[in-house]
Amino acid sequence: MAISASALPHAQSEEHAHPASHGTGDHEAELRKEHLMLDPRPRGEMNAMVMDSMTTTSWKFWLVAGILAVIVAVALFGAWGYMISEGLYLSGKNRPGYWSLFLVHTVFWVGISHAGTFVSALLRVFKVEFRRPFTRAAELMTTFALAQAGIQIFAHMGRVWLAYWMFPIPNQRQLWVNFQSPLMWDFLAINTYLLSSTMYLFLPLIPDLAMARDRSTGWRKSVYRILALGFRGTEAEWTHLRIALNIFAFAILPVMFSVHTIVSWDFAVAMRPGWSSTIFGPYFVIGALQSGVAAVAMVVIAIRYTMKHMDYFIRKEHLDAIGKLMLVISMGWAYFFFNDYMIQWYGGDKFTDALLHFHEAGPGGWIWFMMLITNVAIPWLVLWNKAWRRNPAILFSVGLLINVGMWAERYIIVPVSLQINRMPFLWGQDFKPGIEVPIFIGTIAFFVLLYMLASRFIPLVPVWEVQEGQMAHSIRKYGKEPVVTVAELE
Amino acid sequence: MASLPKIPEYKAEWAEGEEGRWGIAIDMDLCTGCQACVAACSMENNIPFVGEEDAAYGRQMSWIRVERLWEGEYPEVKATPFQPVMCQQCGSAPCESVCPVFATVHSQAEQINLQVYNRCVGTRYCANNCPYVARVFNWADYERPEPLSNQLNPDVTVRRRGVMEKCTFCIQRIHKASDQAKAEGREVRDGEVQPACAQACPADAIVFGRLDDPESRVSKLSKDKRATHLLEDLGTQPRVTYLKGGYHGNLG
Amino acid sequence: MTEKNLLLAIFEDIDPAAHAVDKLRELGVTDTHVTVISGTPITEAMLGRKPQWSNVTRFALGGAFLGLCVGIFLAYGTPNLYPIIVGGRWIGVPPTIVVMFEMTMLVMLISTFIGVFLDSRFPNYTPTQYVPEISDGRIALLIECGGELEIAIESAMKAIGAESVKRAQAEAL
Repeated sequence: MAISASALPHAQSEEHAHPASHGTGDHEAELRKEHLMLDPRPRGEMNAMVMDSMTTTSWKFWLVAGILAVIVAVALFGAWGYMISEGLYLSGKNRPGYWSLFLVHTVFWVGISHAGTFVSALLRVFKVEFRRPFTRAAELMTTFALAQAGIQIFAHMGRVWLAYWMFPIPNQRQLWVNFQSPLMWDFLAINTYLLSSTMYLFLPLIPDLAMARDRSTGWRKSVYRILALGFRGTEAEWTHLRIALNIFAFAILPVMFSVHTIVSWDFAVAMRPGWSSTIFGPYFVIGALQSGVAAVAMVVIAIRYTMKHMDYFIRKEHLDAIGKLMLVISMGWAYFFFNDYMIQWYGGDKFTDALLHFHEAGPGGWIWFMMLITNVAIPWLVLWNKAWRRNPAILFSVGLLINVGMWAERYIIVPVSLQINRMPFLWGQDFKPGIEVPIFIGTIAFFVLLYMLASRFIPLVPVWEVQEGQMAHSIRKYGKEPVVTVAELE
Repeated sequence: MASLPKIPEYKAEWAEGEEGRWGIAIDMDLCTGCQACVAACSMENNIPFVGEEDAAYGRQMSWIRVERLWEGEYPEVKATPFQPVMCQQCGSAPCESVCPVFATVHSQAEQINLQVYNRCVGTRYCANNCPYVARVFNWADYERPEPLSNQLNPDVTVRRRGVMEKCTFCIQRIHKASDQAKAEGREVRDGEVQPACAQACPADAIVFGRLDDPESRVSKLSKDKRATHLLEDLGTQPRVTYLKGGYHGNLG
Repeated sequence: MTEKNLLLAIFEDIDPAAHAVDKLRELGVTDTHVTVISGTPITEAMLGRKPQWSNVTRFALGGAFLGLCVGIFLAYGTPNLYPIIVGGRWIGVPPTIVVMFEMTMLVMLISTFIGVFLDSRFPNYTPTQYVPEISDGRIALLIECGGELEIAIESAMKAIGAESVKRAQAEAL
């Protein structure tokens, strides 16, 4: 046998804590039902399932897509176009709150985009097997979320038609950009992350595009034929692909950390009470992971319950694992939030004191409390329970609430904190949301619409990775107990 | 490579002698809070009038504001100093480093902070980083219905929406006076250049001049024992000196 | 004069495929004349073959170095060429490090991506030897052999348990 098996009990099989009171055959069947990796089907069948899931649509799908398209056209592009022609006075910004909802939403979408890299890169590096069926679904979230973040950042600019002035390209005006500015680091970091993520999405997609090419006809076949680049699956091609994926997985992790850290530095390097905090870097990164993983939970549940055959690929074990991740990350977020809060509360100057009081007791105080309840209280109260984690309705709701809480966190950090500064004559109290609201709703619709269209077009489950995992998993008897063993096939 | 002007490595190294050329001294004990400076500045610099509603929402666009402060509780109010605040033209300006397109740079000749309207793309980072909240943004193109448009100053650009603006120490007047002096082959005399706010002030509370000329009024005032700077501990090295503390009960 | 033929032997499972590779070696077909095509990645060691060399790592490292140079040039070189003093201080080390890091990662990852394309000769739209069953999880051995060995190889593969053995046709994918 050329396969070397390592007899490590798999992390997910808590089942062997139960006494083997029922017959071992039952126990094995339970394991197979629970774990996708232990329930292999012929590759041809899995391919057919994924292709079927991709090509089958119903009128309900197109109805929803149509409604979303209308929302995008009106609320996003319509409202944004109107604002470009009229001026930023349509937004809710004022002095001293020069930044408000646009920046909140930018950070929100960049945060969600970190989901993809976390699932496909971090989990790949640590060889976590449960990531296999939904890495591509998570990576797609990254690309589409970054597109929305880009829309929001362009929307916040006063003269967006001159946005190309921020590009470091030699020009006849002999003007250059300021690399000391965190906005330029933002520009470089977000572009790096977008390009790297898209490449990291595309590379493992190539073998699945080849599979789709082999199994389709008509216009789909010609498109997949071009996109699959003539991939056959030779030893050489797999070797190059595998090495590149390893390099990408390791390298995109520091990029992911750096992106949200740099976004946090937009705030942290400024001389504002409440902003000038050294913990913003890791605080924002963990915040991004929190909203990202919560969004992954929502997307995975949506895929499983709306698309054909996805109940084979995405099982309760995945919801369980994502739920546990959400709980751990929520604890991490609470740690960093408390860190930030404690330092400001204990030793802050009078303006920081005033700011903290304004957070809790000002007109936005209910948002501050909502943030703590949805980011900390609810995950901690709900996600420890295995049955609740595995319940899709509960997990979806918790994920949604976490995202609302993370939105609230950014709201507290940007428009609310800006109202307090070192010149009390110019403290603001009033903030009315303006045209940012329809634009945000439009970006949410755009995100979902892009996702829906992508699900028709590319296979959402990386079947070759699933089969690779299934090849590595087996059940063997350890004493009287059937246990899961995972081989290290690389 | 262009030759670099002498600049310090760290902010703390900035020598005290390099006060720059132009500065303002504001005597808060003389200021009556009449806001003539605000009106004059708006006239001189083509600042649009945003209307009552927008002004109440924090969209007012005056480059100088008169802050009302008071000490004590009503009716035992001990003092009501008025504090006119405009751009402090910091030597180490936090707004300059954060602009991604170099729309706000430091003038080497006048040693003040410049706002380049045609370069600004409107990210508003500079405004967030200004600790004095001295900058304003053109949220909209405000109308100037006839005959208000006849009042525009031809020496000053009219800004469109989407760009930041702020007090410039009436740099157009500085240039005019410097050009006149150069044509006559002399230096600018102390008191020859008056920004609009200094010119309009009925109490002569705003004094403008050359900080590097030890004989000028502003230079002497900035060394007065009542002299202080706003938010001094931030290290921004502002060019505006405030004289305060001389009201009754506090002299001594 | 023997003519070179291309045979395609398709296996369902990895064990017969590994036996087949050994058998081919016995029959005199060297490893370089056998190409393994599969629907899931299998390492060369699983079939008893020598590991493939790849240039992707070299692309990555070269790209990282190039990116580092680009980053230094952008963050430190350009301000020194055309200095504009802002904020009362000169360009410092921390912003330079940030820009250097981002450009290093960007160019390294782009080079890795391009390296995959160049090494695998993507995109390849010319007709090649391939059958769609491979993406259904089969393991195929593309054997280049002399004409006289063809029959021997065919019967050997069938004996080991190949699903099919046939002449490889170059067809457009």
